[in-house]
Amino acid sequence: MTSTALNVNFFQAKKGLFSWIFSVDHKRIGLLYLYSLLTFFLVGVTLGVLMRLELLNPGKDFLEAKTYNQIFTLHGVIMIFLFIIPSIPAVFGNFFLPIMLGTDDVSFPRLNLLSWWIYIIGAIMALSTLIWGDGPADTGWTFYAPYSVKTGTNVTMSVLAAFVLGFSSILTGLNFIVTIHRLRTPGMTFMKMPLFAWALYATSWIQLLATPIIGITLLMIVAERFFGIGLFDPSIGGDPILYQHLFWIYSHPAVYIMALPAFGIVSEILPTFTQRTIFGYKAIAFSSLAIAFVGYFVWGHHMFTAGMSGPARIIFSVMTFLVAIPTAIKVFNWVATLYKGSIDLQPPLLYMLGFIFQFMVGGLSGLVLGALATDIYLHDTYFVVGHFHYVMFGGTGFAFFGALHYWYPKIWGKMYNIKIANIAFAIFFVGFNMLYFPMMIAGLMGMPRRYYDYLPEFHLPNMISTFGSWVLVTGLLLMLGNLIAGLRKKNQPKVGRDPWGGITLEWQTLSPPPVQNFDRMPVLPKDGPYDYEHKPVIKED
Amino acid sequence: MNTIKQNHNDQGHEEHPIVSYREHLSTLVALLLLTVMTVAISVFGSNLRTLSVATALLIASVKALVVAYYFMHLKYDKKLYTWLLLIVGVLFVSFLILTSIEFLNR
Amino acid sequence: MEHSSGFSLPNSGHNRDAEASKMGMWLFLFTELLLFGGLFVVYMVYRLLNHEAFLLSSFELNVTMGTFNTVVLLVSSMTVAMSITAIQKGNAALSIRLLFVTLGAAVVFMVVKYFEWSAKIHHGLFPGQLVFDNLPKGEGLFFFLYFFMTGLHALHIIIGAVLIAVVIYRTRKGLITAEKYTLTENAGLYWHLVDLIWIYLFPLFYLIH
Repeated sequence: MTSTALNVNFFQAKKGLFSWIFSVDHKRIGLLYLYSLLTFFLVGVTLGVLMRLELLNPGKDFLEAKTYNQIFTLHGVIMIFLFIIPSIPAVFGNFFLPIMLGTDDVSFPRLNLLSWWIYIIGAIMALSTLIWGDGPADTGWTFYAPYSVKTGTNVTMSVLAAFVLGFSSILTGLNFIVTIHRLRTPGMTFMKMPLFAWALYATSWIQLLATPIIGITLLMIVAERFFGIGLFDPSIGGDPILYQHLFWIYSHPAVYIMALPAFGIVSEILPTFTQRTIFGYKAIAFSSLAIAFVGYFVWGHHMFTAGMSGPARIIFSVMTFLVAIPTAIKVFNWVATLYKGSIDLQPPLLYMLGFIFQFMVGGLSGLVLGALATDIYLHDTYFVVGHFHYVMFGGTGFAFFGALHYWYPKIWGKMYNIKIANIAFAIFFVGFNMLYFPMMIAGLMGMPRRYYDYLPEFHLPNMISTFGSWVLVTGLLLMLGNLIAGLRKKNQPKVGRDPWGGITLEWQTLSPPPVQNFDRMPVLPKDGPYDYEHKPVIKED
Repeated sequence: MNTIKQNHNDQGHEEHPIVSYREHLSTLVALLLLTVMTVAISVFGSNLRTLSVATALLIASVKALVVAYYFMHLKYDKKLYTWLLLIVGVLFVSFLILTSIEFLNR
Repeated sequence: MEHSSGFSLPNSGHNRDAEASKMGMWLFLFTELLLFGGLFVVYMVYRLLNHEAFLLSSFELNVTMGTFNTVVLLVSSMTVAMSITAIQKGNAALSIRLLFVTLGAAVVFMVVKYFEWSAKIHHGLFPGQLVFDNLPKGEGLFFFLYFFMTGLHALHIIIGAVLIAVVIYRTRKGLITAEKYTLTENAGLYWHLVDLIWIYLFPLFYLIH
């Protein structure tokens, strides 16, 4: 290792586009992911807003039925495969996992760069369906057979894109597991690891062990479209429900790929802004593993009305209730962490409180759907749409933006306008609940999902929901604008190493970090990662 | 600062014993015997139809374990790898069991 | 600002770490196992649903060729394992020779496979061919899975063979030595996985009657 460039931060170390897109520095790769993810996120948001606009009034407004189907499919594919699944691990995991472990990179830096390139190739493949062939798929992001085999739209390309993106996800997970096993700083045992690292560890195992199943399933769809033999077609002895099984064997655990890293973020931000140790470190760490494990056995709850056999439905329903237990353990521990802490209500903490509230709404409505009897009524209604947006957007999305506000000063060494960030959060939060809560009401009233039209009696909730989408976008743009303005502002005071009073290792290094991450050996607190009583003194210099 | 040195700084191979040629050869002989067995049961034991499928899978699993344990060095590696492989196996078998419960009760 | 010129982290991601490479390889093998695992789930379900059709179709496969290929793969697995022993003992020449045997086994396997496949295609059993399209319920699934699974497996044989060729090249160049043989080990692990999957494919397709 050359030591000359020791205190040069990773932005200044090298210049030029190629020094970024071929960089093996985990920090640069994390930022590459951040910029690409946010781009795709904004595309996804645009599609979502278009859908809400169509649904403002009953009847056809400006979208054809088929176009609407293609839009919600592309919205789903972009948001799931291009945004939420990679979101926190690929951006903040890449950037902060090595720093939090006290090392200078992941175990396989070049593989890490390869993951990003594969991600970009997959993204281009997914978006390319917009401009060539027979248009984007209109199957929904689930690609259910036999429709996905028979429709004339460009399913093959979308499916191959999802396959390629899966590879990127697998390689990132593989890299993180080996990094956590091999590169922890001396003295940092597994039980002294920050909870974000624990969450990523559990997530990586799901990425590694669930993704191959969808890979092979999607290949079967492609083979079937190519040879036209009807692998999931009952007329030759196949079974369309088998496709759903294979799909959800991956895609339910994938829900935890999206949620677990967010839990890790909450477990980092809460101790910092309460200045006390996290309540129930071990319970939070092990409940991540428990969720990852039990999460493999609940996939059937997506198929209660598909014609699955009775005993299987009961088993899957019971397992679904079991997986709620470790999740609830986490929520109790977070709330207990707030108790008697010295709470400092900064933007990151606001996002975390928003997360806990919305995740509770999402989680509890999930139990309603996990129960057999109620699910028969609610399946494929807008209640489901409301539910998963509460979990994915209200949960993981909020955690993502909270993390962005939390680590912003560390990544760029600058600070955004706190007051505007608070206002943006308030608008964002109100807009979010205005957008998705009426969906649950509409669902309870019986409005089915995935139609571009609806009966007049659902008008009111849909109207509120569409207005909410405008409020949400306002908040989102204000938030992103504020963050960008913070970067562009000249002559602002540099933030120090530890602007929030955080305790994990990333706060001991410079902001932004030097190429090697540390300019001196990081020091661990005495009793575990959140031991504020023995917090090492962080010298500026 | 003393703790730094003892950790994995530029590690080559954490020495594990060299497996003898003889051990590899006996492993192969065992695998070939198992292959002969499974083919024989299948070809000559067709009156024991369902039994022969079960035994074929059982013998295949024994062979797989032998390959993993000896050829793939699980015997000499850290126990971690054995555990992880077992967990993956359990996970996969649970997929099989859960789906078969579903399809057998239709 | 202190310029601690000697400071570098002890646990750097840029250090050579054989254990990490091996762990990475194992994790990758797990994903391979589950990739085939998905296909085994499909196989199991369709066998449960089309019991008789699967039995009937399996008679179309040639047990002798299947058994021969099984033996070929098992022998090649041993030679790969032995080549690791050889390089550990510092005997690069022997290691290379054993790897060439493995490579030869891969070629033999593929040739046998070629004859098997062309026999089936000759009978019109490949998806899309006339006989295949008129097969009774269930038998089409058997042959689709047969081609899909053995085809994917053959693809892995090719990848494994390329990997072994790279190992031979690097050993010859002196880049792989008794102190530094991670690549040989990892190529070996991959090759064993290919063998491992065949161990299950063989009885499930050739021996179920």
